[in-house]
Amino acid sequence: MSSDAHPHYEAVIGLEVHVHLRTRAKLFCSCAVSYGDGPNHHTCPVCLALPGALPVLNGAAVEHAIRTGLATHCEVHSRSIFARKNYFYPDLPKGYQISQYEKPLATGGWIEIEVDGQEARRIGITRIHMEEDAGKSIHDGAATETHVDLNRTSVPLIEVVSEPEIRSPEEAGAYLRSLRAILRYIESSDADLEKGQFRCDANVSLRPQGSTEFGTRTEIKNVNSFRFVEDAIRAEIDRQAAILDDGGAISQATLGYDAEADRLFVMRLKENADDYRYFPDPDLIPLVVDEERIEEIRATLPELPDQKRLRFESEYGLSTQEARLLSASRALAEFFEAAARAHGTAKSVANWMLRDLLAALREREIEIEEAAIAPEALARLIEMVDRGRVTAKSARDLVAELTEQGGDPEALVRERGLEAVSDVGLLESVADAVIGANPDVARAYAQGDKKVVNFLMGQVMKKTQGKADPGRVREILARKLEE
Amino acid sequence: MTEPLGTLAELRRALDAGAVSSAELVDRSLARAEAVEPRLHALLATREERARAEAAEADERRARGGVRSPLDGIPIALKDNLAQAGEKVGCASKILQGYESPFDATAVARLREAGAVVVARTNMDEFAMGSSTENSAYGTSRNPWNPERSPGGSSGGSAVAVAAGIVPVALGSDTGGSIRQPAAFTGVVGMKPTYGRVSRFGLVAFASSLDQIGPFAHTAADCASVLDVISGHDPRDSTSLPEPATRCLAALSGDLSGLVIGLPSEYYASEGVDPEVLARVSEAVAELEAGGARTREVSLPHTQFAVATYYLIATAEASSNLARFDGVRYGRRAAGVRGLTEMYERSRSEGFGAEVKRRILLGTFVLSAGYYDAYYRKAQQVRTLLRRDFDEALSGCDVLITPTTPETAFRIGEKASDPLTMYLSDIFTVSANLAGLPGLSIPCGFANQMPVGLQVLGRPLEDATPLRVADAFQRRTDFHLQRPPDPR
Repeated sequence: MSSDAHPHYEAVIGLEVHVHLRTRAKLFCSCAVSYGDGPNHHTCPVCLALPGALPVLNGAAVEHAIRTGLATHCEVHSRSIFARKNYFYPDLPKGYQISQYEKPLATGGWIEIEVDGQEARRIGITRIHMEEDAGKSIHDGAATETHVDLNRTSVPLIEVVSEPEIRSPEEAGAYLRSLRAILRYIESSDADLEKGQFRCDANVSLRPQGSTEFGTRTEIKNVNSFRFVEDAIRAEIDRQAAILDDGGAISQATLGYDAEADRLFVMRLKENADDYRYFPDPDLIPLVVDEERIEEIRATLPELPDQKRLRFESEYGLSTQEARLLSASRALAEFFEAAARAHGTAKSVANWMLRDLLAALREREIEIEEAAIAPEALARLIEMVDRGRVTAKSARDLVAELTEQGGDPEALVRERGLEAVSDVGLLESVADAVIGANPDVARAYAQGDKKVVNFLMGQVMKKTQGKADPGRVREILARKLEE
Repeated sequence: MTEPLGTLAELRRALDAGAVSSAELVDRSLARAEAVEPRLHALLATREERARAEAAEADERRARGGVRSPLDGIPIALKDNLAQAGEKVGCASKILQGYESPFDATAVARLREAGAVVVARTNMDEFAMGSSTENSAYGTSRNPWNPERSPGGSSGGSAVAVAAGIVPVALGSDTGGSIRQPAAFTGVVGMKPTYGRVSRFGLVAFASSLDQIGPFAHTAADCASVLDVISGHDPRDSTSLPEPATRCLAALSGDLSGLVIGLPSEYYASEGVDPEVLARVSEAVAELEAGGARTREVSLPHTQFAVATYYLIATAEASSNLARFDGVRYGRRAAGVRGLTEMYERSRSEGFGAEVKRRILLGTFVLSAGYYDAYYRKAQQVRTLLRRDFDEALSGCDVLITPTTPETAFRIGEKASDPLTMYLSDIFTVSANLAGLPGLSIPCGFANQMPVGLQVLGRPLEDATPLRVADAFQRRTDFHLQRPPDPR
């Protein structure tokens, strides 16, 4: 696939994603993993690298890393090695980061991605390794001082490295969304981008269409939203294409992305490869997880997004697109299935969710977990529509209201006097009055202009404050006009 | 001059008999320190008030019949690289100036729970890098047998503190011989336990895969008493061994019958070993044979590579372990720096001594891209071969016996200008660290009026065996009873 804007080049994109694992404690000490507390609140001799302190591996982090490896079809190795990545920085207390280098925990997996209008395809995962996060350097406005907050130091991370198989900004976005969905499904990470729990670096290079060699690549660091990743990659493809078109050469560099200006800036040029002097950490023994344990963990994995989508298609007769939308998050999928169970007709629930509930969530910029509506409430509301007890129009407004405030749809309908007018006598008298007040319209109908009935319907609905069942009104009007 | 303190066993008996109080012992220890320090400089700090208060608590416990262990109320000393809560931990380095540890090393915590009273912190080569204490930022310790001579290192201060009778026992650390060599030079017993037997938590790391904490004392039995307190699994050290620790003191039967002693031919044939030292070692082996042991020659074919291997691995690990001393969070930060790079460069240039810098540079080089395979990886492969040598040799015998050092204590200044010669003085001790074996040095006589050390190495986790051999030897000989003259 070629880059749309530059058809003579093929973009080669690889993504490195750093994910905070969902553990209570840090990777090598018992300090709490916590966001937003006062600086250096969650530190101890180990994560402060006091003289004599030693790391002890948090088993819960290992379990999450294994879950991620299994959920992304990697081979999880029963023996992996922690290594030290040596470099000096004030927010790196030990002067090295404990990571995995030569023998990572998991290798050789894939995840499936789909970009609108294209066939789904697999993107390879080169490796997943465990490591600890660094702290934060805070450069104050004063510009003469740097402060260091070590709360984040040693928060457990995995780095998920993709194969350079991604070919467009849209695919990069799809990959990230897919990976994030998996992580959240298996509850190994909240993957909240705003909290820095899911951070992406993108390696980008171009090569002539049809070439199999790799061009010189640049690395875009730490972009904090999916849209910005796509924008940044798009901007970088444009930048590289312009240089190559002019006969220039790409210099290897680390780039930052200014989202506001939609512009990349050079953080540093990489003339020589960094030498981190990796070596096995002698304070830690090899991480050994026996096959049996790996299989036990595999057995606890929930149904993953792809599996769920396929099942939704076959079990509920949803289209691929519908199934994909409803399986986008585990909570949404669970909401759907609970509502479908309560209601009985999954297809109908799917329609209501896709049309009304998702819109209500989008409008409020919330996730289903944060919405007040219960799946049973949605089911009951749809059932009321099915029985003609409330009109579809009223019901749609109620979906929004339930999303916001929750509650019982029956009570709400009663409270608001939204019961559909099903009193035929009343509807007939309103219809008579409307026809009587619009003799010219009735004449037009008689002369064959059948669509004027819509105007009369609108009048009836108006007089009944929208509570009349439109089907029944149409039926009554037609009968009276034919008479 | 104030009398030297006796052995741990003697002091224990005196305490239990009510002949002396812990408070008196601490006073005597501090007085002895004051008397010998000007000449020997074994210590970097004493802990007078707190030690006296802890001694008083120990005396109360004893009065109530609640003695916690054989070490309860006994004054001890710690090498300056062992963390003790509320005390300065300096590793004899300027870079840690002013740093106070908020926590106890596990070994220190266990000793304190057993009732031992820490009276002093002992001098050492800066960050345990050296074999003479000449690399201390705070001056050289002197050998009580001859103050013109080195007490060895890096745990020289702990060795002197015991040899000169300031304390009956002290802790040191041994990365390539840093307990055994000074023990040999000062005529005391020093033991490096099996790697992983004593928790390294709270030991400021020099080379993590080699470092091990161990005791100094006058007798093997006293070392066993200390080891019984400090050994055992510690969840805070991932390299700590999970196996329960064997009780060493209880294993000291005095019986040598059936014991097979291996004599590694490479050690006895190596160049530059003082014939007088070899003569004392042969006499000691004959003494053990007289006690019922048998000897056989064994081979450790990769011995010639041990020192090189050791200095590659130790410096590589050190270059990384010492990165945390950056002037950012604690210790000494260079004054008046502008910018981050200058802060690092000046803090570290001013804070570290020459030998530490040399080893950081070596280690950084060894791990560098393009050199890693030739040096670090190769050294790890040789380390595996050395381990196999020992597995093989110890499959046919219970212990190996060698000289601890090729020579007796050298003169202060003699090797200071020649690091390579200094490194070669570790030739008999580094292998035990590379292979993770327990090893000790006991005094076995004198050559050139200086003590000679006999090294006994055992199988991993069988720490009691070298101690049993050493104890049996001491039951048959009196070298350990000889004390240096009071310094003048």
